[in-house]
Amino acid sequence: MSFRPCGNYHQYYRQDHAWWQTKFVWGKMILLGIFVFYLFPNFAGMYLISIANVVGYTILSAMGVQLLIGYCGQVTLGHAAFLAMGAYSCVLLMLQLHIPYPIAMIIGGIVGGLWSILFGLPSARVKGFYLIMTTMAAQFLTVEFFITQYVSQIGGRGVAFSIPPGTVKIGPWMIKNDRDVYYLMAILVILFTFIMANLIRSKIGRAWIAIRDNDIAAETMGVNIVLYKLLAFFVAGFFGGMAGAFWVTSLAAVSPEHFHFGWSLWLVGVILIGGVGSIHGVIFGSLFMTLIPEGLKFLIFVLTQNPIFVNLMPFLPLLLEKFLFVKEAAFGLAIVLFLIYEPNGLSYRWWQIKNYFNLWPFSY
Amino acid sequence: MRMRMMVLVCFVLCFISSWAIGQEVRLGALQDTTGATSDVGKDEALGVREATQYFNDAGGINGKRIRLFQYDYGYRVPEAITTYKRFRDYDKVVMVLGWGTGDTEALSPTINADKMPYLSSSFSGHLCDPKKTPYNFVYGTDYSTNARGAIQYWFDEVWKKEPKWKELREKGVKPKFICFMDTASPYATAPIKAIKEQATILGFEIGPDQHVGLTALDTKSQVLTAKGFGANLVWHGNTTMSVSAAIKDGHVLALGADHIINNWGFDENLPKLAGPAAEGAMGLLGCALFIDEYPAKNRVLEYAKKLNPGIPLENRLIRTVQGWVKVAMAVEAMKRADKAGKLNGPGIKDAFETFKDWPGLKEYGGQLVTLTPTDHRYSSIVRVGRVVKGRPQTVMEIDMRAKYPDKWAGWLGY
Repeated sequence: MSFRPCGNYHQYYRQDHAWWQTKFVWGKMILLGIFVFYLFPNFAGMYLISIANVVGYTILSAMGVQLLIGYCGQVTLGHAAFLAMGAYSCVLLMLQLHIPYPIAMIIGGIVGGLWSILFGLPSARVKGFYLIMTTMAAQFLTVEFFITQYVSQIGGRGVAFSIPPGTVKIGPWMIKNDRDVYYLMAILVILFTFIMANLIRSKIGRAWIAIRDNDIAAETMGVNIVLYKLLAFFVAGFFGGMAGAFWVTSLAAVSPEHFHFGWSLWLVGVILIGGVGSIHGVIFGSLFMTLIPEGLKFLIFVLTQNPIFVNLMPFLPLLLEKFLFVKEAAFGLAIVLFLIYEPNGLSYRWWQIKNYFNLWPFSY
Repeated sequence: MRMRMMVLVCFVLCFISSWAIGQEVRLGALQDTTGATSDVGKDEALGVREATQYFNDAGGINGKRIRLFQYDYGYRVPEAITTYKRFRDYDKVVMVLGWGTGDTEALSPTINADKMPYLSSSFSGHLCDPKKTPYNFVYGTDYSTNARGAIQYWFDEVWKKEPKWKELREKGVKPKFICFMDTASPYATAPIKAIKEQATILGFEIGPDQHVGLTALDTKSQVLTAKGFGANLVWHGNTTMSVSAAIKDGHVLALGADHIINNWGFDENLPKLAGPAAEGAMGLLGCALFIDEYPAKNRVLEYAKKLNPGIPLENRLIRTVQGWVKVAMAVEAMKRADKAGKLNGPGIKDAFETFKDWPGLKEYGGQLVTLTPTDHRYSSIVRVGRVVKGRPQTVMEIDMRAKYPDKWAGWLGY
């Protein structure tokens, strides 16, 4: 739900369904575009750009998780498997068959989607904890068994595949440094957000939400729940596969260790923190889950290495000795506090703040 | 109010001045102190810090102080990537002391593009071929050579000589060999191809690989499979914690096989964790154990007591000494690069490649180091240890180049 300024009336359905309904919103979006495509990449420095790339990768990865859990109610704990399928498909197509990167990336997405359908099939029969077990099986069967034992051996490269410089290019545009990766990431994030937001407000999206809220009621109303659940798995897997194929550009290498079970859990954490059932939630959650550990790492470094702090508080070096887990514990505590005090996630808080200013000074 | 302002200004000034850039050399260290390999990573991180302090006290890099930027990445590859970018773009280090095989191999294309020397705790053989990874260096005999040496030692010294295997030996039975490792971990899988090739050379029968996670606490199904196969020798490719779980399960289920352990799984903690099950277990050693006698021991003890007094010396491991080895090798390369007036990435790489029988690591129980522009294998000497009466100790050193002179060149980058 959103609010428009007083006196702003719509005459056509087109206006009513527009993404950006007022000039003020258009202005904000143009400013955001200038920030994302000009100010940040040109003035932020390479370190912040590389952090942004990880945030972007997390957004791309978590988008499918949000679709499955947040919109369709199908809990997944094996999403890293679909990322891995996309990444490996893309790399193998580029290295073995010399297929151009954009086509390899799309095929990677399709492979991820089809692989996801395979593990989504049990969702026609089982749900809840049993479905979680099925998706966990996807993780272990795909990454630990299929990719590690078989796919990684293709071409005799050993476990890690390295991509020679100059392999990743889109037409004449060579993706060769973090700034290029950043632009690709920004385009993909916008594209994914656009696709996801439009899907959610279409017939398909309404069917997914109906299944999430009550699948039996949805079926009685004529929703083919098997078809729509499998479609949700396909789209989520496609997003995952594309995200995996994007990750390849960032690193120029891929190995099964990049797609371990912890990453699947991490992605669920992203949407829990950001807000389940919200596209904003994916973005806020990804920012939180990337920036907070990075900030904590810097904080621990400053506190333990700076002589001023160490002289003032001589116990600080113990953070590197006996209390190594302070960083992890602080991060875990932040998640717990969010779940207790803001169970709807950061996106809900964002929604409240936005509406406060939209309705100001009558914000009650 | 004014007082408060003054205190604040003093504080800020002190803060800024303490961070002011002087004559310093910036060194990045990526550590795992909280992740899947923290069982060995914590101690290594301590060693790196203590060694850096020592070298600073001893004059740094030709008078320039080393400033160490040490971060934990919890063995998470994305965090390793952002940390590396932080080293490169924010901390502006001249070289990086890396950690795991997964992140080192993943970062390899990036560091080569950035011309950033990367001295890693991963001794993966894949990182030793300068044609593919010109900026990667290791500070121990590579995993593949080590694995070949270990299995060679077992065949020559145990299978052929020990009464335990006399009956089978006399029957002319082929030794049965099986590998336990985390199949999704590049560290654990790095030497598998080499060790299996060596097993074939020696005429072993090779059983099915068994997946044991790096954080595994129960390995009974893997041990039962190994028992069903009739394994005489088990290779453990993980770190100490899961290796000790596997050895204990092997003991409980009467596996009866001998154990050989990769170097990050063999240390003073193994007998503590596995108890009597660890007796006789063999493993690879990159340098002296913390409990051993070695020329630099007093120095290592002194800095351990001085900088990290909260950690009892009896809890220290070989990993501390490995931290010293890592820093000592990096310092030597930086000193040579500085003397040549090229204290930067390509300069440090060139300096590493001038190492010829460099004896600096002998003080820590390491080997003579020779690196060339065409071969980044640190040494061909494999140091094998064994747990005897509850205490790990060195039992033999094997020179694999001398033993296989015709094959040695072909094993580069294996």
